[in-house]
Amino acid sequence: MNRAPGERRLSARQLVLRYLLLLAVLALTVGPFLWQLSTSLKGPGEDIYRYPPSLIPRQATLANYAGVARIIPVWDFALNSLKVAAANVLTNCVGAALAGYALARMRFRGRRTALTVFIMAMLVPVESIMIAQFVTMRELQLNNTLIGVLLPGCIGAMNVLLMRNAFAGLPYEVEEAAYIDGANAWQRFARIALPSVKGTLAVVAIFAFMGAWDDFLWPLIVLSDQSKFTLTIGLNFLHGTFADDQRLVAAGTVIAVLPLIVLFACLQRYFFRGVGEGAVKG
Amino acid sequence: MPIPCRAAVVGASLVTSLIALTACGASGNSGGSDSASGKVEGQVTFQTWNLKANFKGYFEGLIADFERKYPDARVKWIDQPAEGYPEKLSADAAGGTLPDVVNVSPDLAYPLAKAGLALDLERAAGKYRGEYLDGAWRSNAMPGLPGVYAFPWYLNTGPMFYNKRLFRQAGLDPEKPPKTYDQLFEAAASMAKKSGRRTAMLASTPAIEDFGRYGVRLMNAAGTAFTFNEPKGVELLRHYKDLYAAGALDSQALTAKAESSGRKFQQQAVAMNPGSALDLQTFKKEAPSLYRSIGITDTVSNTGKANMYVQGLMVNAQSRVKPAAVAFAHFVTERKNQMAFARKVAIFPSTGGSLDDPYFTREDGTDATRVRVAAARSLKTAVNYTPVPLSDQMKTVLRNAVAKAVQGKEPPKAALDGAVAECNRLLKTG
Repeated sequence: MNRAPGERRLSARQLVLRYLLLLAVLALTVGPFLWQLSTSLKGPGEDIYRYPPSLIPRQATLANYAGVARIIPVWDFALNSLKVAAANVLTNCVGAALAGYALARMRFRGRRTALTVFIMAMLVPVESIMIAQFVTMRELQLNNTLIGVLLPGCIGAMNVLLMRNAFAGLPYEVEEAAYIDGANAWQRFARIALPSVKGTLAVVAIFAFMGAWDDFLWPLIVLSDQSKFTLTIGLNFLHGTFADDQRLVAAGTVIAVLPLIVLFACLQRYFFRGVGEGAVKG
Repeated sequence: MPIPCRAAVVGASLVTSLIALTACGASGNSGGSDSASGKVEGQVTFQTWNLKANFKGYFEGLIADFERKYPDARVKWIDQPAEGYPEKLSADAAGGTLPDVVNVSPDLAYPLAKAGLALDLERAAGKYRGEYLDGAWRSNAMPGLPGVYAFPWYLNTGPMFYNKRLFRQAGLDPEKPPKTYDQLFEAAASMAKKSGRRTAMLASTPAIEDFGRYGVRLMNAAGTAFTFNEPKGVELLRHYKDLYAAGALDSQALTAKAESSGRKFQQQAVAMNPGSALDLQTFKKEAPSLYRSIGITDTVSNTGKANMYVQGLMVNAQSRVKPAAVAFAHFVTERKNQMAFARKVAIFPSTGGSLDDPYFTREDGTDATRVRVAAARSLKTAVNYTPVPLSDQMKTVLRNAVAKAVQGKEPPKAALDGAVAECNRLLKTG
């Protein structure tokens, strides 16, 4: 057999062990999702809580997905969620990049204080200030609007710190060179610094999207009209008051998770680069 | 239980404290004009708790009828999802955006009533009192406050479901399920022994309703202090501790919730579980093999009185359209309209005489009807055991104390004493 020099030979036993461990972790992380997926495809008349659980539906059907759309206007809810999530990605990427660059590269009085304030802001639990936020939104007449949903999370302190550390990690000399060539702060930001932190930007984008897409309590509190509900709130209606149909709940869950999987698949390339880029890891 | 209590615990402490805060700011004039008399006009906002998905048609018809009866009134219906309802109510109470007519259970109405946000209906609508079952009307009376703060709406109670196959396997008579707690404890112990600890009788530790059904006095007459640490309560807890040690409680009983114990029962891992008249449908659909060996019996009780869950309609004391709001809340809870609702789903009307309707008294041979008739019969004497001031936070306190005692980490007496002290403290500060 030909072997490239330097390639270490793994004994068969080690290889098997390695794969077994990987499979075990895979089962732990993916298993519950697969169970949901299979439940959502099971037809009426199948035991869904059987023990041991069976993953292959015997009477596979897509009727549960149609059922979800019949009970709640799931596409309207998804559109609302998409609006909020897309806006959240935009505001977070732009805002966090600008603020992060300022904190990492600009010299101004109170820079350290500003940084401390950002870190302190992360320590406040959201639940404890929720009612105050709601009263604020009401004063601004933004309760029951999607803007009200967006506003409190539109620039996350965590994202600002991520961006700051990404910018701080770039070699200073490059920007000095640009400075000597006559580039002003905006040009240095847009042409030099920003293209170098695409990875972190992707991380911020995916966190912002996930945060907005998965949020439940705040949208619930701020919104009252069903026409404005986001998907997470809307899907909660599938939990019947009197009886749950687990198949519908599972179908709703799959609908909710799908966009996240798609987004992750698209950004995956940048994502893993980004995680290693900054010193603060999400 | 009509509405399984899901994520309610998270914000529970918030709810009470924040509503208390609002009370200072917002309730200045709540006592002023309680007159519900006046012209029925204006737009009434009506909030239900997770009913739109399944009963859209019923409510739209109801609203259309009301608007036909009172042409100057309009009703705007909003529906809230199951989860996060207490948080939503407290935020709305704080922000002054509470709807005019709100679907509440007594424990949700309590903080709102204390904050002066719920209209005293004994004063504003006392003339309707005679239309409702006495127990249902009084279930919205709040200890320490005069009056009644919500129209009683639909009631629910549940039979006990049991698994005949598991009973047979354990050598118990599947036709003679336990009726009192003593019989239950005995049957549970023998089942655990026969099955070599593999089949548990019950899926959860005792909750406040169990204390009530066991005959424990839960609160003093004035409603100012909890009393479930009296010897009777300690006795109940000691029994459960023995059951747990013998393997007659499910291994996950300490953390079980209504939903998870229902699932255990569906998996046929536990032999007996309280349910509601609605569960039968669920079993048929989700666990057909369980459905074939299902047994139905009355709730285990020492007092002879079943537990009743009440939903009500509260009228916002700061509503700008009080006459219309009271008229609408009464309209929804009227005998005719409740009866129509009861035919849609297995709930029970709170209006007097409704339970004598043939629909609730005549058997037609099907299991569903049998459950309905039995539940309706037990409702006539049923009580809402859960004391109104027992907030979700206090329920958690009790639950933790019970868990500690059952595991043997603390003697039952000490655990309950601690829980009562903590609940009394919360009662005072809440």
